[in-house]
Amino acid sequence: MLLRILNYLNEHSRMLKRLFFAFLALTVVFDFYAARHAPHFFGDSIIGFWAVFGVLGCLGMIVVWKGLSHVWLAKEEDYYDK
Amino acid sequence: MISSTIFIHPATWFLMGAVLLPFLNKRAGLKKGVLIAVPLIAFTVIHWLPDSFGQVSYMGFDLVFGRVDQLTRVFLHVFTVMAVIGCIYGLHVKETGQHIAAFLYVAGSLGVTLCGDYLTLFIFWELMAFASTFLVWYRKKRRSIEAGYRYLLVHTAGGLVLLGGIFLRYQNIHDLSFVQIAANGATFADYLIMIGFMLNAAVPPIHAWLPDAYPEASVTGAVFMCAFTTKTAVYVLARGFPGFEALAILGAIMTVYGVGYAAIENDARRILAYHIVSQVGYMVCGVGIGTAMAVNGAISHAYAHIIYKALLFMGVGAVLEMTGKSKLNELGGLYKQMPLAMIFTVIGGISISGFPFTSGFISKSMIIAAAGESHRIGLLLMMTLAAVGTFLSVGIKLPYFIWFGKDSGVRAKDAPWNMNLAMAIAAFLCFFIGIYPEYLYKMLPFPVNYHPYTAYHLSETLQILGFTGLGFYLMVKKLKPEPKINLDVDWFYRKGARVFMVFASRPVLSSDGWVNDVYRRIGFRLTMALAKAISWFDWEGIDWTIDGSARGVVECGNRVRSLMTGKIQHYIGGAIALTFIILIIVMLV
Repeated sequence: MLLRILNYLNEHSRMLKRLFFAFLALTVVFDFYAARHAPHFFGDSIIGFWAVFGVLGCLGMIVVWKGLSHVWLAKEEDYYDK
Repeated sequence: MISSTIFIHPATWFLMGAVLLPFLNKRAGLKKGVLIAVPLIAFTVIHWLPDSFGQVSYMGFDLVFGRVDQLTRVFLHVFTVMAVIGCIYGLHVKETGQHIAAFLYVAGSLGVTLCGDYLTLFIFWELMAFASTFLVWYRKKRRSIEAGYRYLLVHTAGGLVLLGGIFLRYQNIHDLSFVQIAANGATFADYLIMIGFMLNAAVPPIHAWLPDAYPEASVTGAVFMCAFTTKTAVYVLARGFPGFEALAILGAIMTVYGVGYAAIENDARRILAYHIVSQVGYMVCGVGIGTAMAVNGAISHAYAHIIYKALLFMGVGAVLEMTGKSKLNELGGLYKQMPLAMIFTVIGGISISGFPFTSGFISKSMIIAAAGESHRIGLLLMMTLAAVGTFLSVGIKLPYFIWFGKDSGVRAKDAPWNMNLAMAIAAFLCFFIGIYPEYLYKMLPFPVNYHPYTAYHLSETLQILGFTGLGFYLMVKKLKPEPKINLDVDWFYRKGARVFMVFASRPVLSSDGWVNDVYRRIGFRLTMALAKAISWFDWEGIDWTIDGSARGVVECGNRVRSLMTGKIQHYIGGAIALTFIILIIVMLV
């Protein structure tokens, strides 16, 4: 049964994509209504702050660390054996 | 006295189990019984512990094998639960040595958690390092043997720093009891002890042993190791060093550092190992902030983390066991073959990412909220960024490239029942703690005044997770795994050791021989002549000139002096020997 569900989802990836974007929109809409008790800093009072933080943080992290890896850190797997 | 309280100590059961196991080699059923019974008994006895037991006085040292308070109890609870899960997971392993190593390792960890003085702590501390090395070696690959030696050497060095700190501390205050150290009155000795602890907590720059050794450990060995070493270190830091600013800052750096490497690594178990560095960073940071809420958060995160990180190591370990592969570039499209392992690993992944209704949601947020309440916005943002990276690297990337992505053509079936059972228990606990956080909160040392399920916290979490997912969706091609390794600070000793060897083999060796030669020819004779002259002057000259009775006084003084100087080393050496003897008696009583 598990396999059938997974296969079904795999075949309907466009539907999943739409659901995913709908979910993203919903999280921001929800943020309008979420009560804010004792915000810790300015970001806590901006609607959608964590959405922007999430996407920029994710992209930034990939760019910075993948960049570091490419220009400096990455070595062949037998690097230490040589 | 000893015999009556000895069986209360949960480590006793693991030590007895370790002694018993070699005799059960031919009786597989009985062996499995012992493997399940011992952790279950330990889990039971920890509920009946008195506040204090196993006090042994030896030559002025008060060794305390059992000091029990709320902080001890919560760690004992999760350690014994983890031992049960780990033993079920490793039930099919035929090599008895692996089970013995795991038992001794758990015993060491429980001993550290329960001890009330630094000497007992040090002995159990070293037992952990020693036993866990075998869990690496039992993978029996050349890389594992090498990594195991490096692991042992690094931990020996860390243990020596710790021991140095203990000696100095004893010299300063003549007290070995293991209690909280005030942040404003810490001395050099205390910092040495803290560094010894930090090494086991894998705080950069002394963290590289972890991502070096864990990915090379045996499948079940890694499951044990990911739970005990670092979290025992978190326990001792929470016990001894709450409120140390260095821990708060280094902890926050750890969270980002570890997750960054997790994002670029290729080997699934190395991704998880780097991610331990990141997760332990939250705990170290919480301990460093030091408020009641932050320490509570650190402990609850340790509890939750042990379960879900073990779950992740079990899921990836199941893939390694069944396919012989753990590198992401060699895996992919496994969802049809190992759906159960996938489900369990994804549950571990969403728990570690802090999805609502999982254990990560109710523990990680506590530390971040504590940082906010202490107005440490820098720490708060670093830890939140690490949360983004966590979902990216372990929540999405890891399962995606193993079970989905391109089909690698690897064929396998789901793991044996015992592995799946262990994963199911861990997965259940992830949800149980997430849905019913009071179960965990009521074990914490300070009263909890924190409610994770607020609208704003839900909103914040869903946005962060959702939009991290968007980031992954946009960049998935950039994240394609490559068969590479990434340099880390272990480069200094892995490459540096070569330079040292070249240096040692030529100049040092030859100069050593040369110096020896010179010394033998000239130095020895000179020393002997000098010694003769001095002793003649000392014994004959002075005595002749002063008085015959002087000799007696000098002799007496010499005796006292040698007693004084040799005292601490002898005491501590003797104490360590005695503790070992006591341990042996403990096992036989």
